[in-house]
Amino acid sequence: MQIRDYILRRLMVLPVLIIGVSIIVFALTRVGGSPIGVYLQTGMTQEEVTELEERFHLDDPLPVQYVYWAGGVLTGELGWSGVAAAPVTDVFLPKLAATMELAISSALVAVVLGVALGTFAGARRNRLPDHLTRVFSISGAAMPLFWFAILLLIVFWVYLGWFPIGRSDPNIYARIDHPTNLYTIDSLLAGDFGAFGDALWHLVLPAATLGYGATAIIARMMRSSLVEELQEDYVDAARAKGLPERLVLRRHARRNALIPTVTVIGLSFGFLLQGSVVAEIIFRWPGLGRWMADSVLRGDQATIMAYVLFTSVLFLVVNLAVDVIYAYLDRRVVLGE
Amino acid sequence: MSLIDGIGPEAAPRARPAVASVKDLRVHFRSKVGVVHAVDGVSFDIGDGETLGLVGETGCGKSVTARSFLDLVPMPPGIKAGGAIEFRPHHTCPSCDGAGCETCDDSGRQAEPCDSCNGGGCEGCGHTGQRTIDLLEISEKDLQTIRGNRIAMIFQDPGKALNPALPIGEQVAEVFFQHRADDLLADAGASDGTEALGGALIQRKAGLKTSRIEDFLLSLPPLRGQRTKLMAAVQTRVAEALAETQIPNPRKVMDRYPHELSGGMRQRVMIAQAIACDPDLLIADEPTTALDVTVQARILELIRDLQQRHRTSVLYISHDLSLVKEVCDRVAVMYAGRIVESAATSSIFTDPHHPYTQGLLAAIPSANHERGRLVAIPGNVPELIDPPAACRFAGRCPYEAPACTAHDPLATTITANHEVACFIHHAPAGDEERPTWDRKVR
Ligand SMILES: Nc1ncnc2c1ncn2[C@@H]1O[C@H](COP(=O)(O)OP(=O)(O)O)[C@@H](O)[C@H]1O
Ligand code: SF4
Ligand SMILES: [Mg+2]
Ligand SMILES: [Zn+2]
Ligand SMILES: [Zn+2]
Repeated sequence: MQIRDYILRRLMVLPVLIIGVSIIVFALTRVGGSPIGVYLQTGMTQEEVTELEERFHLDDPLPVQYVYWAGGVLTGELGWSGVAAAPVTDVFLPKLAATMELAISSALVAVVLGVALGTFAGARRNRLPDHLTRVFSISGAAMPLFWFAILLLIVFWVYLGWFPIGRSDPNIYARIDHPTNLYTIDSLLAGDFGAFGDALWHLVLPAATLGYGATAIIARMMRSSLVEELQEDYVDAARAKGLPERLVLRRHARRNALIPTVTVIGLSFGFLLQGSVVAEIIFRWPGLGRWMADSVLRGDQATIMAYVLFTSVLFLVVNLAVDVIYAYLDRRVVLGE
Repeated sequence: MSLIDGIGPEAAPRARPAVASVKDLRVHFRSKVGVVHAVDGVSFDIGDGETLGLVGETGCGKSVTARSFLDLVPMPPGIKAGGAIEFRPHHTCPSCDGAGCETCDDSGRQAEPCDSCNGGGCEGCGHTGQRTIDLLEISEKDLQTIRGNRIAMIFQDPGKALNPALPIGEQVAEVFFQHRADDLLADAGASDGTEALGGALIQRKAGLKTSRIEDFLLSLPPLRGQRTKLMAAVQTRVAEALAETQIPNPRKVMDRYPHELSGGMRQRVMIAQAIACDPDLLIADEPTTALDVTVQARILELIRDLQQRHRTSVLYISHDLSLVKEVCDRVAVMYAGRIVESAATSSIFTDPHHPYTQGLLAAIPSANHERGRLVAIPGNVPELIDPPAACRFAGRCPYEAPACTAHDPLATTITANHEVACFIHHAPAGDEERPTWDRKVR
């Protein structure tokens, strides 16, 4: 099967999966009780509560409620966020942009750095660079995220003052338009390099926090699969052709070593989303993670459902991307089996 | 008229020197229990245009010997413990352009003259007057110009020796990019480096030296045309190389991935890639062991045919004497890291002089033995960890005598071109009792 057909087929299955996921999300959230709490105000009469319940269809059977909710999701009606005191839909996109800007920059750094470090270490197996990378990776995987975040916060913000927290300088924020709400992109669109620098500057600490763990995992995987590939016959055959070691690595061993690494990269994206909750709280990053944490504490069901549904769908998409890249790199994969 | 100063009709006629001479090669491996003497004093010559068979049981050091030619033994754990592999590069005979004439002894090839004596003969070239390179001494960079170009290698399992993630065409193309960049540029009409930047870039591309950014630049309109021409030139050459090994539909095969081809086809691809640059020496390490019996015969035939047409020298490695009989002019029998006997193929088969060779021959299934009744040599190959000075076949040899465990037998010439290392054929250093053919102990 051609990769293109494979993608099309997978895309057709995607809606089915999303409906399944949405049912699970809805059911699991409702196990936690009725979401009426966020709409209640002190001093409401029982009648007013009943009327509210009717208005939000909370008196209907659960399957009917699901249909109302799913219909709302499709039309962009996600309910009311008690935490933000605004409709979920209105708050969701800007916060999503904040989280995505953080997650994507961390992921980019983690992939580039992780693959490079892993290649560097694997090609110099059991020599100093390999040992140093091992120390880096093990601490990255072992250190609790919140602890590392606080460490960075104390050293680089409290003591050294080299990097700020939050997402941007208010004056600079006000200086440009925000069509995408990705501040790095917005500043580039506005042609304001000062604002771009400011956006990057604010990204450093939370992205480093988030990216370290993922970099560590990716580097470790890349290193071990490269070491394995370098023992394969085709590597010697490439050397026997007269290729310099640089090309043996670049054109042969690394390409195959990337195959198992791609899976780890996909998984570490989930790790990034989870970690974003911690990083956003500690560095006051106004993203989905922080909002989500507040919503959980207040039982803000509409927000929780929207968030969980969104992350699940994101996961499905990342998973699909991983499979496609995998199939592209490893031509032995029998597509569609 | 001589074309090379110093070599003329008046120069003393000398035996055509070998294209490669292995001299007392020792390759050891460090292991937890001691140093394994995997290859321990191996010497042999491969004559120009000759096919030399290297046979012996699995684990006797054939692959380590072969890989030493191209520095492909992993170090560590491997140790270069000594010896030399002298290689004498050849080129097409200029007086007959490869057709074969008197100057080149009808081989169509001629050794390159020694750099320091220009053919006169000096210390550095062992008085052969031919450029002599010690493969164990040269730099990695110099070796890279020899690998795949002057000396090529094919491996036991073609399924593992091809990169699963690259199309066949790209893998074969690498040989041309690496060693024939100038020819490719000439084919593409880009050798004169027309535009400054584009010319430089396309030259880097032809040498596989471009970075990602440069590749991107080359994919843009002003340079794109040149790149397309270069790629077309490579593809033509790759298709020719594949056709040379009788691969049907080479243009289609080029786009395939290794797993889409049969084992025999893959080995043909490996062979095409190996002979693409018309090497002086082809090392074939058990090229048919991983293949079906029916395919084996055809691959053997192919190697034989290519060898004769290109007059390439071949080091043919096998654990199977009956295969070696088909393709080799001469055979060296290896046992536990040493050469025990070497002679012309016919002598080895009709007149073996080493007890081990006799044992191996008896083990070949033939019409005389009923099927399934193999006569195997009893006993096991010795551990090669810090071995004592003794014959390595002692313990398994039917003729063993006290001398065999007290001294190392030396390679002795018994008739022209027939060497044997056994105390039946030469006296030991001490006065211990010698083995004889009359006295069988097992
Ligand atoms: N990579 C290695 N590491 C350790 N020992 C090795 C290695 N390669 C070969 N050897 C040793 O060299 C011996 C000869 O191996 P090899 O040349 O592959 O045998 P064969 O004659 O079957 O090709 C083996 O028995 C083993 O002890
Ligand atoms: S030297 Fe002795 S043990 Fe070795 S092969 Fe000859 S007879 Fe046998
Ligand atoms: Mg072998
Ligand atoms: Zn000639
Ligand atoms: Zn000389």
